[in-house]
Amino acid sequence: MQAPGRKVAVVGMAGAFPTCKNLDEFNHKMFTDQSLVREWDTAVQYNKQIRSTVSGYITEEEMDLEPVWAPVAEKCPETYIDKLGRIPDINLATADMGSVWAMIGAQESVKMAGWTNKEVTSDMTGVVVASGGAGNQILRVAWHYFFVMGKKARIAGAHTVDRTMSYREAANVSCLLKTRGVAESITSACATGLGNIGYAYRLIKYGIQDRAIAGGLESTAFETFIGFDGMMILAKGFSPEESSRPFDMKRNGFVCSFGAGIVALEAYDMAKARGANIIAVIDEYFNNSDGDGDMFYPSFGGQQRLWKGLMPDIGMKPDVVKMHGTSTPVGDSVELLSVVDALGEEGYHMCAPKSQFGHMLGGAGSVEFITALLMLQNQKVLPCLNSDTLNPELEGFQKVPGWQGPDQPLAAYRHLVPQKTFAKEINRIACLNYGFGGTNSAISISRDI
Amino acid sequence: MERQEILDGLLEVLRTVRTIDPERLVGVTEETDFLSDLSTPSTELINIAAKVEHKFDIEFEDEDIDRMGSTVKDVIDLILLAKSRKEKE
Repeated sequence: MQAPGRKVAVVGMAGAFPTCKNLDEFNHKMFTDQSLVREWDTAVQYNKQIRSTVSGYITEEEMDLEPVWAPVAEKCPETYIDKLGRIPDINLATADMGSVWAMIGAQESVKMAGWTNKEVTSDMTGVVVASGGAGNQILRVAWHYFFVMGKKARIAGAHTVDRTMSYREAANVSCLLKTRGVAESITSACATGLGNIGYAYRLIKYGIQDRAIAGGLESTAFETFIGFDGMMILAKGFSPEESSRPFDMKRNGFVCSFGAGIVALEAYDMAKARGANIIAVIDEYFNNSDGDGDMFYPSFGGQQRLWKGLMPDIGMKPDVVKMHGTSTPVGDSVELLSVVDALGEEGYHMCAPKSQFGHMLGGAGSVEFITALLMLQNQKVLPCLNSDTLNPELEGFQKVPGWQGPDQPLAAYRHLVPQKTFAKEINRIACLNYGFGGTNSAISISRDI
Repeated sequence: MERQEILDGLLEVLRTVRTIDPERLVGVTEETDFLSDLSTPSTELINIAAKVEHKFDIEFEDEDIDRMGSTVKDVIDLILLAKSRKEKE
């Protein structure tokens, strides 16, 4: 259900991106069809213990951070030194790696938004940021020293809680910026990044806040990678740059990656009144659940209802659909067909940024939201790399009696799935993200014209 | 172990605590207060205690830390107490 409210503008964006020093480099690499996926030496060293060894990971050094190892707990980062002096030590002490990324992203987003200190510290400025997982790296060490080594709880330090609690990123950003409005985290697995932006959008739309720092992330943690590797759902057998291949017939799993996407949102009229650069206007956000009772299997019906919620009257089609497109066998085909079911067989294109940097889990929705903002700015459609061959045969579920979706195989929609970046007029983009538990999120953004 | 030797070792530990401004460590005496003079976050005292245990190869009792004051003297006294307990074991 949609309700009337205020228009909301996107006025700032920043993040942490694999192999990229900053947003400009990310922009350049994405729109020159480069892959940010690499062989991960951390995974390789575990030989046969681990199945997949490719990732879009980010090291401390790449973020100009230096870990200070705890003298009493091996391989436990007690804190970080910010070699660029962006974050004060007092804030670094309470932050895990992801919270540091969130703070840097928030700082840069505020700068791009041009908010004054009075605006940032207003009661009407909120923070809505989260990651998909726990502070796994910090927890592993703390628990190991207690349970395995028999050490006192304090040996892991006094910051295990603030560096691992569910809303650590929002808490750290709020403490850094000294905001006085809402500070919360919305978590919904791989829909987390978009879910936080959607929630922040609603806070502003309904007048609860005027501004918000919003986004999602997943910080580099091999402990997180292990969990997905154990599910046997990660890509295997391709070179790093060819491993993430949404919609391609040979896709065999997703590339487990890490990153952060943070944006600054503001009530449109207020942003316009102060002459802010409006990167995009949010048309609507909608989210729902499959209702199938299945934790993992994608739901065509759930996605149909998602589109109806996002665009009850699809009179003006989006020019581009930013797909969730993970490179998993079933998820991709259900998603492609649900988009065709909602929008028809022509008049738009689908892009899959995960084909370039893998699946950033809790960061996926927000980093991919930033790719949509960049598509609006650049007036170029990002590709679906490695989608070499779409299935010329019907999917198994299309043959099941009662199937009510498109009756053509994926190959019939080749013209909707570009393999290279190309220029076209883009006025409106829809972004899709889904998560374990059958949660679905969608947002529509437009150019400010 | 002399008190000055312990103070020197304690200062080595404090220099590794990123939330303490190194400039404030110049001229530290036994009367210096962690909270009011060094602006040390109270949660950081736990980390300092753990680092001190590691540095001086001792182990505090939980009650020791519960009762620990916030001056440098309090910490030095505690280190000496823990060392004497260890020697008696």
